[in-house]
Amino acid sequence: MTFSRSDPPRAVANFRALGAASHIGVEMWALIIVSVVTAYLVLPPLFSVIQTSLFTTKLNGELDRFTWKYYLDLLGGFQLAGPLLNTLCFSLGSAVLATLVGGIVAWVVTRTDTPLRGLGYFTAFASFGTPFILYTIGWLLLLGKAGPVNFLLKTLLNQTRPIVNVYSLWGMIFVEALLWSPLVFLMLAASFRSMDPSLEEASAASGAGIWQTLRRISLRLMLPAFFSVVLLIFIRAFEAFEIPALIGLPGDIRVLTTSIFLDAQRMPPNYGSAGAFSVLLMLIVAGTLYFYFRVTREPARFQTITGKGYRPRLISLGRWRYVASATLLLYSFVLLVLPFLIILWASLLPFYMQPSLEALSRLTLRNYSTAIHYPQIADSIKNSVLLGLGSATVVMGLTMIASWILVRTKLRGRWLLDLLTTLPLLFPGIVMGLAILRFYLVVPIPIYGTLWILLIAFVTRYIPYGIRYTHAGLLQLHRELEDAAYASGASWSNCMRRIVLPLLTPTFFGGWVFVFLLSAKELSMSVLLVSPRTPVVSVAIYELWDNAQVGELAAFGVVWSLILLTVAISYYLFARRYGVQMQ
Amino acid sequence: MNPTITFRSFLIAVVALLLEVLPLSAAREAHGLSVEEIALLKGADRQKVLEQGAKKEGRLLWYGTLIVDQLMRPVKAAFEKEYPFIQVEFFRGNTERVVQKAVSEYQAKRYDVDIIDGTTSPTLANKAGIMQRFNSPYLAEYPAELKDAQGIWGATNLYFLTLGYNTRMVKPSEVPKTWDDLLNPKWRGQMIWSTSRGSGAPMMIGNILLSMGPEVGKAYLLRLAKQGIAKSTASNRQILDLVIAGEYPIALHIFNHHALISRKAGAPVDWQPLEPVTATFNGTGLAKNAPHPHTAMLFLDFIFSKKGQKVFQDVDYLPAHPEMPARQVDLKPGGGRFKRANYVSPDVQYEKGNEWIDFFQSQFLK
Repeated sequence: MTFSRSDPPRAVANFRALGAASHIGVEMWALIIVSVVTAYLVLPPLFSVIQTSLFTTKLNGELDRFTWKYYLDLLGGFQLAGPLLNTLCFSLGSAVLATLVGGIVAWVVTRTDTPLRGLGYFTAFASFGTPFILYTIGWLLLLGKAGPVNFLLKTLLNQTRPIVNVYSLWGMIFVEALLWSPLVFLMLAASFRSMDPSLEEASAASGAGIWQTLRRISLRLMLPAFFSVVLLIFIRAFEAFEIPALIGLPGDIRVLTTSIFLDAQRMPPNYGSAGAFSVLLMLIVAGTLYFYFRVTREPARFQTITGKGYRPRLISLGRWRYVASATLLLYSFVLLVLPFLIILWASLLPFYMQPSLEALSRLTLRNYSTAIHYPQIADSIKNSVLLGLGSATVVMGLTMIASWILVRTKLRGRWLLDLLTTLPLLFPGIVMGLAILRFYLVVPIPIYGTLWILLIAFVTRYIPYGIRYTHAGLLQLHRELEDAAYASGASWSNCMRRIVLPLLTPTFFGGWVFVFLLSAKELSMSVLLVSPRTPVVSVAIYELWDNAQVGELAAFGVVWSLILLTVAISYYLFARRYGVQMQ
Repeated sequence: MNPTITFRSFLIAVVALLLEVLPLSAAREAHGLSVEEIALLKGADRQKVLEQGAKKEGRLLWYGTLIVDQLMRPVKAAFEKEYPFIQVEFFRGNTERVVQKAVSEYQAKRYDVDIIDGTTSPTLANKAGIMQRFNSPYLAEYPAELKDAQGIWGATNLYFLTLGYNTRMVKPSEVPKTWDDLLNPKWRGQMIWSTSRGSGAPMMIGNILLSMGPEVGKAYLLRLAKQGIAKSTASNRQILDLVIAGEYPIALHIFNHHALISRKAGAPVDWQPLEPVTATFNGTGLAKNAPHPHTAMLFLDFIFSKKGQKVFQDVDYLPAHPEMPARQVDLKPGGGRFKRANYVSPDVQYEKGNEWIDFFQSQFLK
């Protein structure tokens, strides 16, 4: 085929047609394969969740009677309004606060010339290394009635009663938002980094200041990414258990998950309420996703990586950059240093004491010797690391292709794929764990009792996170780069390998590390799926939480956090070098 | 009705039945005895038969709730020392998880597990139809409340749930010593308990309703509900740690041996029995289709024997065997600090537990 230089638009159109023709088959196959794999992973638990919500079960595991009871109970919750209203306030509050905090830090770190920017990444990765339970306990000890924060405030304000009441809705929102802000940071940082600078430059050239540009250009371009993040944190907070249970319940703040948990202690054990709850959540999220789709229907509005040189320039903050540095330091201190210090402190004591001179004289390493001699500790660590590596790689590979299909192609069935990859977010861990357990006991695939069943469970559970990462990343990647590749005669795989994947490297690694750290912490499915020969760390931590003293739990947590931190940092360094090379 | 079809379906049924039965009878021949027969063996050569069978089996799989480094490992080591030809493997979970796992496996006809333990696990598993009655001569030494009348479980160790308090926040003279002392207005908002079905608020409510009688008990509890007791899903161990940290002066219902362990480490904490003390225990039993029944029976014999009970004693647990005192004698009734304990059997827990949870949710939750 030939074309004349004098007629570029037609030539481009022709090449688009050619490109489309040559990779349409691949697209379809990719969609089919990815959909089948995802469906295989997601449908059994989905089926099980719906079934659980509609039937009572007998003790021997058989379904008993069909019932609407669980839904009615849940709607009864609506009438009471207490738990439901609390849940909404808690989820929305956490989502907004986390996005605000994480978003500001992401912007400062990726887009400005603030000194100490690297601290943002370090903090985010490091804080994800801390197991949830430990993190929550850390905050309880810090903000508790007898904790150091209240002690300081009481002394400063010359009061006798505690000033801060952590056992409140605000306390819950604060800790939950802090907990998720690193995720917000990692996701938004990936998007900020790949933003088209020309629009901002045009704005600056037209005389707009930093704030005006930020408000009218940058933030608007980031809209889908923001929305995606708020939705994700909202869902996570909606389903959250540790913080509502440990912080909310003692203060008589009940949310839906704690109500369900208390209910699920009845015998014979039924997870009907949990099932109905997740079906309800699915409906809410489906509605929100529909809205989201309408917002992002014209993805061109948000595409920010074009063929024009995409690495955004850093914004000079002038004297403000010291303020930004200070904010960053404060963030690191509050998110990471404070809880880590208190956990470290607890790990060095024979029993927990508030910081004091008397306590200093009792410091001991005994808890560490207990932690290091924990049964099968080496195997647990090896298994957890292996599972993290495996699930991170599979999840990111799978979701990269899935996102590409969702964003790039116009194939008819892709909405289904979108739905499939979002669903696991809405399954309660325990219901999903039971579903996977039962499924592999019945189907003739001999992975029961091996690490593979855990890998499958983790991949299924973390697909939605991979999608959030890769989807937001791809949405910003303008089609013209790929078109240029096809126009130059590249094949689909060539184009993916040499254009799409390299440009998405930051997104990929961000997501990879995140999934790795999440898998390392996964608990609700692991407690059911581990076998005597496949111990994992999170289950060990859970057992310590149940039975050991705070100090032993803390020592184990410190050791594990340090291991995760090493993995995360070395991977981050590797990724950064890799990223530099790509430039 | 068409007679040929009936005859054909009859034939099919017969073949199916044979297919179902044949492997079983083949297995039985290989073993010589069924699981049930082994479990109920009596007579002089019992030990010999068990040992011979166990030598062939060589393995044991135990689904348990005991704490791994404190008990599962030491018990495994002691048992393997007694019978060096046996390898014990275990899976540890809480009462519910252990049963869920075993029941799911049985549903899929996967028979891996030999031994199941937990406060209510054997009872739950039995209701699901996956437990086997057994007979261990050592259980003859136990009182009736510490073994199942049907032979489904025997108790290995006891738990006593008492009040725990921070000794810096509660003066010795102030410590509540009776249930009524808890109603003192000065304790309003100062107490915390766990929501756990098996050891927290529902159990304490159960003990009060059982020991005071439904009417008096209920009246008492309604007054107690006005005291604004904080609740947490945390385990009793963690709740005690919150008390040690000074977050709350009093934990209502904690394991007394936990308080002792912390006290020995120097923590400002002590326990106080409120009589009758709520008592539960860990029961252990045999899975219906245990693949290593001889070994499993040797194991059950071992843990109920004084030798096995010593392992529990050595790690500061409270042996169930009536002649085995706790290492710290006063942790058990009659050891000097309390006399009366109310043993809430797993069957009663199962039958009444939901009522107690209902009471807790309606009266103590806001």
